[in-house]
This record gives sequence, C-alpha cells and structure tokens, in this order.
Amino acid sequence: MLRSFKEILEAAKEGDAKKLVVSCVEKRDMDILGKAAVAGIIIPCLVGDGKAIETIIRGTLLASLEYEIMDEKDPGRALNRAIRLIREGHADIFMQGNISHQAFIDAILDAKNGLRKRKLVSCISVFQLPKQEKLVLVTDTFINNNPTIAEKQLILENALRFAGILGIDTPKVAALAAIEQVNLSIPSTLDAAILSKMSERKQFGNAIVEGPLDIDCALSQVAAARKGLQSVVTGNVDIYLVPEIDTGYLLAESLVFFGKMQMAGVIMGTANPVILNLPFVSDESRITEIALAALICRKRGNDA
Amino acid sequence: MIRSLVDFSRIAKEKGPKKLAVLAPEDEEFMLAVKRSWQMGYIEPVLIGNAEKMGRVAEKVEFEIGGFEKIISDDRQAIADLGISMLFSGELDIASKGQIPTSYIYRSIIREEGKSGSGMTVSVVTFWEVPGLHHLVAFTDTGVNIKPDFKTKVEILKNAIFVYRLLGYPQPKIAVLSGQREIGGTLVSYKDYELIREAAASGDFGDCEIIDATSFTDIFLGTKSRLADHSNVNMEKMPHILLFPCLDTGNIICKLDFFLDVTRCSLVATSRGPVCIPARSDFSDNIVEQLAMCVVVSDRMEGEVK
Repeated sequence: MLRSFKEILEAAKEGDAKKLVVSCVEKRDMDILGKAAVAGIIIPCLVGDGKAIETIIRGTLLASLEYEIMDEKDPGRALNRAIRLIREGHADIFMQGNISHQAFIDAILDAKNGLRKRKLVSCISVFQLPKQEKLVLVTDTFINNNPTIAEKQLILENALRFAGILGIDTPKVAALAAIEQVNLSIPSTLDAAILSKMSERKQFGNAIVEGPLDIDCALSQVAAARKGLQSVVTGNVDIYLVPEIDTGYLLAESLVFFGKMQMAGVIMGTANPVILNLPFVSDESRITEIALAALICRKRGNDA
Repeated sequence: MIRSLVDFSRIAKEKGPKKLAVLAPEDEEFMLAVKRSWQMGYIEPVLIGNAEKMGRVAEKVEFEIGGFEKIISDDRQAIADLGISMLFSGELDIASKGQIPTSYIYRSIIREEGKSGSGMTVSVVTFWEVPGLHHLVAFTDTGVNIKPDFKTKVEILKNAIFVYRLLGYPQPKIAVLSGQREIGGTLVSYKDYELIREAAASGDFGDCEIIDATSFTDIFLGTKSRLADHSNVNMEKMPHILLFPCLDTGNIICKLDFFLDVTRCSLVATSRGPVCIPARSDFSDNIVEQLAMCVVVSDRMEGEVK
C-alpha cells in the first residue's frame, strides 16, 4: 500500500516511461516536466507553437532529455490534436497546459471525441497526512456541482477504484454531512445514510462506508465515541465523500492553506489519466500528480 | 480590540461572573469546563439536567455543586426550552449547550425570538484562532440554516458583523465563499456573492468591505498567481468574516480544528444574549475558552443595549 507522496514517486519510477501529452505548455511547467522526465516517469510530448515551445525549453532541464514537439499553432487545434494522440494510443497521459478549465474539461467530456470512459468523471484530491504515513482522498473536489445520490454512488466507485490503485484493500469511507444523525431536512444526511446501508449490503465490495458523519466524528474516534458513535471508520478514514462542490472545493483548499498540506489531484472516469492545472497545487505536488497518472496507466492498463 | 482567545480569557476574568444556564452538563468534559470557568470567575452556573447524571459527573471531576441553583429535568427539549427562556426573560446572561443535541437549542432560540418579535434570524458564528494570524476569523453560518437563500444570508451576515464589531472592529473585511470554479456554470453560492456585494455597496451592512474573492485561493493567491510552495501564502490576507454557502460546508470546515492547528469557539448571538455552542465532542479546555468568549460578548452586548 502506498502511504506517502514519496512512495508514489518511487513506485512510478519503476517500469517504462509513459508518454505525457500537453497542449499549450507554459514555461512554468517545464521544470515540472523536466523533473518527471529525468525520473524516468514520462516522455513529454508538447503540442503547440513549435518555435515558441523550443524557445521556452532552451536552458531547462528538459532540453537535455527525450521529448517530442508537435507543431500546431492554433490552441484549439492543438488541444484536439493532443486528445487525438491519446485516443489513438500514441500517448498515455493528458495534462492541462495554458488553457481554460472549461475548454479543457469540455474537450475531455465530449461524447464523440473526448476521453470519457465511465458514466461519470470526477476529481479526487489526494493528501498526505502530516503526522502519519497515510494518504487520504477527498472527492469530488472539482467536477460535479450538486451530485444526486446516483451520481454520488459513481463518484464513490471512482474513488474506490483509485484506492485500489494505491493498494488500499479495505477502504474506509466517511460520507460527510453537517451532522452525524439522519435528519430528514438535511439531504446530505439522507444520501450518506443510503450509501452507508449499501455498503452494509456489500454493494461496494470490501469498502466500509459510514454515514452520515460530521467531520469531527470522521477525524476523531474519541470525538465519535463521545457522540455515541462506534465505527472502524471514525478516526481512520481513507476517503472523504463530500456532499457537493461548495464543500469539496473549499475543503480541499482549507487543507492546503490552513493545514499546509500537499495536494495532488486525480481525475477518474476517463479512458486515460488526465492532470488538471489547479492553482493551489504546488509545483512539487504536480510531479506527484504525474507520478499518480503513470501509476494509473500501469496498474489499470489505462483504465482510469 | 480582541485579537485572540487569550484576550477573551483576560477580559472574562474582569467582567465575570456572568450568570450562565448550562443545559445538560451530564458529561465529564462539560462539567469540568463549568468547574474551571467558575473557579476562574467567569460564570455563576445554573445547572439544568438529570439530577443523577449531573451529580455523578460532578463527583467524578471533584466539583461541589451543592451550592449552585439546579433545575431538574430529563426531557432534552424541556431543558433547552427552560434555559433559553431564562435567557430571554433576563434571568440569565448566557446559556450554554451541554451534552444535548444542538437542534433542541436552536428550536428553543427560534421560538423565543419569534415570541419576542425581534425578527432575528438565528445563526451560529464560529471563531477560529489561527497561528500567525493577528485576528480571529469568524465563520458563519456553521449551525442552523441548511441551505440559506440570499435574503437569509444577508441576515446571517448581519449577525456575524454585529458580533465581530463587538470585538472592536468597526469595519470588518468579509469574504462570501463559494465553490465556484471556471467550469460547471454559475453556482447559486456565487450568484449570492454577487448580490451580497451589491447589497454592501448600497450600504445594507454599514461600514464593511466585501472582498473580491470567493475561495481561499482567491484570498491568498489572487486570481493570477499559483501556489509555488507554502512560503508564498500570506495568512494576513485572511478577512475577518467568512460567509459559507451552506450548512454542510460551514460545519465541515469549521470543525477542522480536530485536525488542524487552529482553535474553535462557537456562539449564537440572540437578541437577548449569547448562547455558547460547543460541539458535543469538544474537550473541557476548549469549552472553557468558548465560555470566556460568551462572557465577553454578553458584557459587550449589554453595553450595546445600554
């Protein structure tokens, strides 16, 4: 089981380098791509204005390494060409360059020419706990605004597939809500209770889903016990399933800014790993994102 | 100007004791907090709850409660109703939750506000003390309104501004938070942010500033830069008040103190005085800090009324 970003990086170094394609690459990405390439994790394929790319590569770590440039001056055409490379099997990982989130996500989710594989695409934020060697996942933190219970099931299943890639055999899931009791006026508590019951009936395999859980019960077994809640999940959560995007996005940011934690984002539900360009992911964590993408390729044969 | 929880403790010693109803102090941590707050001169407790349970936990924490006023009741709602009605009738300065679900207390407050005709929207303000930050951060609403609409958010925000001004900040800076990203259309929480900015520009909130940021990334990094590493995060950019989109978000994030290096204190500022709202999982040290905060808020609310 992988327990830290360091272990993810080490695991990703084992095996062949994967081809990572990025359209409209930025100068600030060069250092990240260079470090991932020198570690043998990827071979970058840069689609965009060839001359401009050559200029920004000059003098960087990547300049002395193996890489590929595909000249395509128009940003829209560069994006489409990059996706085509993935769809046709010429590249393995798709990374967002200097292109808007909306255009990037629209291209990925496009029913005809995109990369969607499963019914739902979702984003998982991976955090390394500061005081113990453990990775925790928070989902959905970027893609789905107000998921229905059916969509939450799919978000959870995406997270469980990813937990499997990390080697978490019996994932413990906290279906979060404002309170730990089922309250008919608070929809998130009802959804959490249903998912928890589904888990009891083994509808999520080995995973144990506890919900509704408020965050104090999820984080602390002692706090949960004081509220009369006994569960193997409390104080030992692997996956935090959030009710909606306001909570997911702001919770992920809170852990980064207040907890000073490193966060790596993973997109699940696509045919190939996709790496977003989120502003609150540090340069160091972007390398972890690339490593995770490479691991997904290897462990699931690109079945993200 | 109150900048930290230590300031609350210091002032509470000067302004106490305040008469406090403790609603179901039937757990050792709560009773210990009452004992220590009484010893420090913050409060004069009125204990409302189950006689046997209160007696047992008092004995465990070596607190002689024979000399305090006690009102015996087993019914959770009746305990909440009684304590809150005593606050509203002026018999007490503060009420505090003990080992009782908060929903009972909110229900009692809402009823009393209705009876008093105050028209006040009930909401919870949670303060965070963040290391390295030279002011407290108020989160709202972290306890009552499940999915507040724009009008309710205006009232929630007015409550928080009122409380924050009591700390000595006449022009608080406010962020109206949202999970708005570049994708997925415009969230309701973002539309509310835009409306609240308009309302603030029209003077609906008095002297304050709604900052041009709806996420922590916007607050700390602005819209153009990105996180290189944590050294470029300036915590001093944190506004005084954060208005959360909904109860799930507010409650989940405000209780991250179980994990992060921050300290949390919560209260409801009713029209008649503060109600202390510790979580049922809070420990005595933290409950004492919350009681100290309520003593100070009670004192300053009295000053406002006068």
